[in-house]
Amino acid sequence: MNAAVLNRLKEEFGAVRAALPEHVIGAERRGQALEALCAQGLPVTRDENWRYTDLRSLEQARFAPAQTQPAVLPSLPATPEGFVRYVFLDGRLHSQAGAPHGVAVRTAHSEQAGAAPWRLETRLPEARLALLNETFATEAVSIEVAPDTQAAGIELLFVASAAAAEGASYPRVRLALGTGARMSLIERHLGRAEAHSLVNSAVQVELAAHAALTHYRVQQLGAQAAWFDTLSANLAAEARYDLLAVGAGALSARSTVHARLSGRGAAMSLSAAALADGQQSLDLYALSEHIAPHTRTAQTFRGIASNRARAAFNGKVIVRESARGTDSRQSLRGLLDGAQCEIDLRPQLEIYTDEVRCSHGATAGKLDENMLFYLLSRGIAPEVAQHLLKWAFLEDVIAKIAPSDLRRQIETTLVGQMRELDTLKELL
Amino acid sequence: MLTIKNLHATVDGQEILKGLDLEVPEGEVHAIMGPNGSGKSTLAHVLAGRPGYTVTAGSVHFKGRDLLALSPEERAREGVFLGFQYPVEIPGVNNVYLLKAAVNAARTHHGQPEVDAFEFLTLVREKMRLMRMDDSMLSRGVNEGFSGGEKKRNEILQMLVLEPSLAVLDETDSGLDIDALKIVAHGVNTLRAPNRSQLLVTHYQRLLEHIVPDRVHVLVKGRIVRSGDRTLALELEQRGYDWLIGEAA
Repeated sequence: MNAAVLNRLKEEFGAVRAALPEHVIGAERRGQALEALCAQGLPVTRDENWRYTDLRSLEQARFAPAQTQPAVLPSLPATPEGFVRYVFLDGRLHSQAGAPHGVAVRTAHSEQAGAAPWRLETRLPEARLALLNETFATEAVSIEVAPDTQAAGIELLFVASAAAAEGASYPRVRLALGTGARMSLIERHLGRAEAHSLVNSAVQVELAAHAALTHYRVQQLGAQAAWFDTLSANLAAEARYDLLAVGAGALSARSTVHARLSGRGAAMSLSAAALADGQQSLDLYALSEHIAPHTRTAQTFRGIASNRARAAFNGKVIVRESARGTDSRQSLRGLLDGAQCEIDLRPQLEIYTDEVRCSHGATAGKLDENMLFYLLSRGIAPEVAQHLLKWAFLEDVIAKIAPSDLRRQIETTLVGQMRELDTLKELL
Repeated sequence: MLTIKNLHATVDGQEILKGLDLEVPEGEVHAIMGPNGSGKSTLAHVLAGRPGYTVTAGSVHFKGRDLLALSPEERAREGVFLGFQYPVEIPGVNNVYLLKAAVNAARTHHGQPEVDAFEFLTLVREKMRLMRMDDSMLSRGVNEGFSGGEKKRNEILQMLVLEPSLAVLDETDSGLDIDALKIVAHGVNTLRAPNRSQLLVTHYQRLLEHIVPDRVHVLVKGRIVRSGDRTLALELEQRGYDWLIGEAA
């Protein structure tokens, strides 16, 4: 299977190679990326860190980029207050606002000839699908925040409209915060409800010393879509990165997050919520790599799987020999809502030094019977009580979303996904 | 209001209630006392319809209807309230939402319109003052991070807002200091009315100094072995339960 898919991948690349924009990524680099991917092979479920991923959508996918659709966008959520919005349709820039003060935003259209193209971190085998992005990307957005700037927020909205048979889309983002810069980024992946889209995103985050980024990632693609995503982040001394990821859409979704805490005192929190229903498979692999001393990480995961769905979180923490005084915490919880659903929680710790504080907890179970009965005893209907408790379960993560209008939009999405809009609307 | 005849109930296959008879008329407050393991809490949970508590024989009628045929939520909407011995913490579901959902569930059940949000909040605040509860508790998760005493006060607050016809309070006095006990008792007393009844499950006579019961029943080994007026509680305080356990055997 793998060899056949790789052959098809090469053929498709050969056919579209000349048409891929040189100023986004040069043809030579694209070819190298494809070679590197072919050398590693596509991931298979036998690979330890891909075993919870639904990879079937890669078998039938057309990898070449989708042609830009006639610009009929699905209705978009309102732009949260304090953010300027950039919309990308099937991986290409569709509309943009003016960049906030102190922020330089470059896209394929604005890129100066000869500007140094940036590279994604793709060395990790778990990051190999970023090579696919590098092979086919049709657009790249680079956001640079000047040192010591408190920048207004940016929202990147990636809309998938094309069906997978017509081609894939490749959102590609680099975000670099200068020393002491601060900003909030919203990155949202939306799709037409019925589209079988294939989305392969790659995001690189670079935080200079004392920079602080709050990054909200929301995956609410259509119910038939497939999403493969790679995010790598590098944190310099005293940098702070708060990543909040909410996954509710797509038939199969896999996100790989690799954070390198390479500067002393850097800190990262990853809070992720996944709500999987039907036949959905939502998989998040997160690697926190402590390289410098006195670095801190916290991983929080809350996942719910209903019916025949699967929600997986594979959280790995590596503490390098150089990372004395590391503090790392993992709190992973899964909720099983049905007999055929699946929750996979995998906390992994590799420690190569002394003087560290690492804690982890992972629990998966059904709804708490005592809580359920308590609600029933107050006259609440059983279906409503169950939905309330599922809601409450995700709140650990959702409550951390600071922009209230964004939080409200996400809550509405989640409540809609629970198909209980009427009974839970008062919570919103 | 409540008529229990020959009630037998099992938990995990073990018979706990073994032919319990009890009549609580409208407007009366009755106390159920008894030693540990006599079946007091089992009775409370059977009345509320908790899963895992199986009635094997006997009947329970509430306002002339077969209570055992109703689901837990239907019992609540019909006006049966269980005050929990160990109220559950539900982080993420806020207190005021639960209160309002509970009130509206009962109102919808009785064909009444839902409460007006503003009037409802005013009412809740008034009851909270009665229970000496801080306004901030409204926006917190249900019982989340509450002390033992706060949880019990929150149970009584819910009862005051829901105004049940029959309140079953399961060891509401346990774990309370004397000040909290007085507040809780005051809350319970304000709900006394000719059309309401209360069943207090308690281990000690202490609560009954503040809530004067019309009748006191002693439950031993799953049956009521003695009933009397409030002086029976005082007698139990003096003599303990052993003499009744001896009689029951």
